[in-house]
Amino acid sequence: MIRVERPLTRGLGKVTGFALGPYQTAIIRIGFAATWLFFLLRELPHRHEMYGPDSPWNWDMAQQLIAGNGAFTALMWSDGHVWFEIVYTLAVLSSALLMLGWHTRAMSVLFMIGVLSLQNRSIFIGDGGDNVIHLMSTYLVLTRCGQVWSLDARRRARARGGVRDEAVGEAGALRPDAGEPVDRVGPVLWWVLGLTLAAVTFTGELNRGWLVIFWGLLAVHGLWWAVGRRAPHSELRKLLDVVANLVHNAGLLIIMVEACLIYATAGWYKVQGSRWQDGTAVYYPLNLDYFSPWPALSELLASHGLVLLAVTYGTVVMQVAFPFTLFNRRVKNVLLAAMMCEHAVIAVVLGLPFFSLAMITADAVFLPTSFLRRLGGWAARARDGARARVLSRLSRRETLPEQRVGSRSQDAEAAEHARVGFTP
Amino acid sequence: MSGYDKDSGGGSAGPDGPVPTRAPEHAPPPIGIAGLKLGHQIAAACALAVIAVAACAHVAMLFFHVAPSNTATKQHGDVIDEWIYPEFEQNWKLFAPNPLQQNVGVQARAELDTAQGTVRTTDWYDLSAQDGARIDGNPLPSHTQQNELRRAWDFYVGSHDNKNRPIGLRGQLSENYVRRIAYMRLDRESPGGEGDEIVRIQVRSRTTNVRPPKWSEEKVSTKPVYRQLPWWTVTPDDLPLTGGAAGDDAADGGRAGAKGAGR
Repeated sequence: MIRVERPLTRGLGKVTGFALGPYQTAIIRIGFAATWLFFLLRELPHRHEMYGPDSPWNWDMAQQLIAGNGAFTALMWSDGHVWFEIVYTLAVLSSALLMLGWHTRAMSVLFMIGVLSLQNRSIFIGDGGDNVIHLMSTYLVLTRCGQVWSLDARRRARARGGVRDEAVGEAGALRPDAGEPVDRVGPVLWWVLGLTLAAVTFTGELNRGWLVIFWGLLAVHGLWWAVGRRAPHSELRKLLDVVANLVHNAGLLIIMVEACLIYATAGWYKVQGSRWQDGTAVYYPLNLDYFSPWPALSELLASHGLVLLAVTYGTVVMQVAFPFTLFNRRVKNVLLAAMMCEHAVIAVVLGLPFFSLAMITADAVFLPTSFLRRLGGWAARARDGARARVLSRLSRRETLPEQRVGSRSQDAEAAEHARVGFTP
Repeated sequence: MSGYDKDSGGGSAGPDGPVPTRAPEHAPPPIGIAGLKLGHQIAAACALAVIAVAACAHVAMLFFHVAPSNTATKQHGDVIDEWIYPEFEQNWKLFAPNPLQQNVGVQARAELDTAQGTVRTTDWYDLSAQDGARIDGNPLPSHTQQNELRRAWDFYVGSHDNKNRPIGLRGQLSENYVRRIAYMRLDRESPGGEGDEIVRIQVRSRTTNVRPPKWSEEKVSTKPVYRQLPWWTVTPDDLPLTGGAAGDDAADGGRAGAKGAGR
């Protein structure tokens, strides 16, 4: 058995047999989608000034720049106001639905389209936080990030609850698709997206690379659905599962490497700076008008030289050290907590809430599974508590049958335990 | 990588010899690639190879993109750029090697054709000070307050020489961009009366060193340094957000600006 197999074989079994880190990929899915969603809602009154056809960086200027670099943005397909509103609305909707995990993979593609469309339209309005979301939105498409904490997982759990014996009896192992529910929305979504893609292809707005990517994604989805429907226990289905796991694991690896590169770059370049060496670096941003939303607080912090020295050195040490601490679980977790706290402070003190939220989310990919599951438990209890309160208030008013309340919370229970794939 | 997975394979791993036989009914079905038939196993192995190579290549490209200029990037910079741009571009030199130590304020003034047929030049409006005032006490600063003007000015400075001559297309675009932002912001201040029209605008930057910390013995001049651009002619077509979408922002913020500051 596994114990006596050589590490290579064991590793191979893992990366082909499981989509690793189901909780970690779920938390970053929720985190990045929520960050972008909150950002879009916050900027709703400013959306025309930032991305609209008549913005200071107007459509023609964007066109000239994009002609040179070939960046993807659906906003360049038309300079109409209606089209702009459609794209912005779709960006908002896709982030909300990705956060909830509704048809997660399709939403991850739409989420990426929304992020790239808006950000590439006006590249001079963004900052580091936008950059993180831009990169992660492309990587998220590769992952099976809806295995847990998603509407998809709940739907699968409900279906499995109905046909549990059969599914386990035949497939033997617990598989994410063991009891694939009959999904009516999926095919409709597929057709709508497919027809839209066909129309866009016809207009000739997409370059060859993006055509290959989008048609490829659509074809793979179609194949996945057809095989799952016709031959759910076939070899081909197992092969597809293996490939999906491989792509997921590669995507997860790249997300982790990306997070390490962010810290490594930030840290190693800081080491070379005289202000980071003499311990005053943190003093300066606190005194910039654009990064001091609470001048009194900034002044207070800026007046304590030794505190600033500690923060300055601590920041560099953490950033440089972080990638190496991944080899030691305990040190990694301590550092992770410290870095999340630092970003939370940055959110307030430097007035960069969305940047900080994006960075905290990127950090979250390294959180231990045990902690994330506890977090999930708290969230579920909070949700069930809230639901029970609402239901009891309703039942007092409408005398809802007791039994129905019971069956609902059972569903919630089943959803919470709908963890599939790899868990240590 | 991060050690999610700690297998409890505590010391029982034997040598590479034959695997002890077990009753088949106790063995779990093989997982992943091992659970496939040979033909599909080969296909899975090919997929594994392609995905592994692609992932490693991407990681290598990312690394060289963020690394300092080096032998590899000098020899193969075009390959790396081809891979990275436009969608994987990134810059993490956040406050590094040194944080910005100057407050750069962008100011603008307008020349008005008045209703009486005369020409009037307004005072300088400190647009960055207005941004700063709108950020003060704001838990969720907007990108329009924190990034728009600040980054537009960086873009302008980065694509112009010392004599304010544009460098290439980016230079031209940055000029348009700064002009349109300044025009929009001045227009919101409605500097003229009824019937007055903004016909020309001028932009300058006011750079002030941040005073060194009080425990530091360093001396830096805190006298502002100005960089003044030539007057730009504007037409009503240049005014952003006139396509029926302008109303959204105008009400927001109020007159936070220090009119005539730094004069």
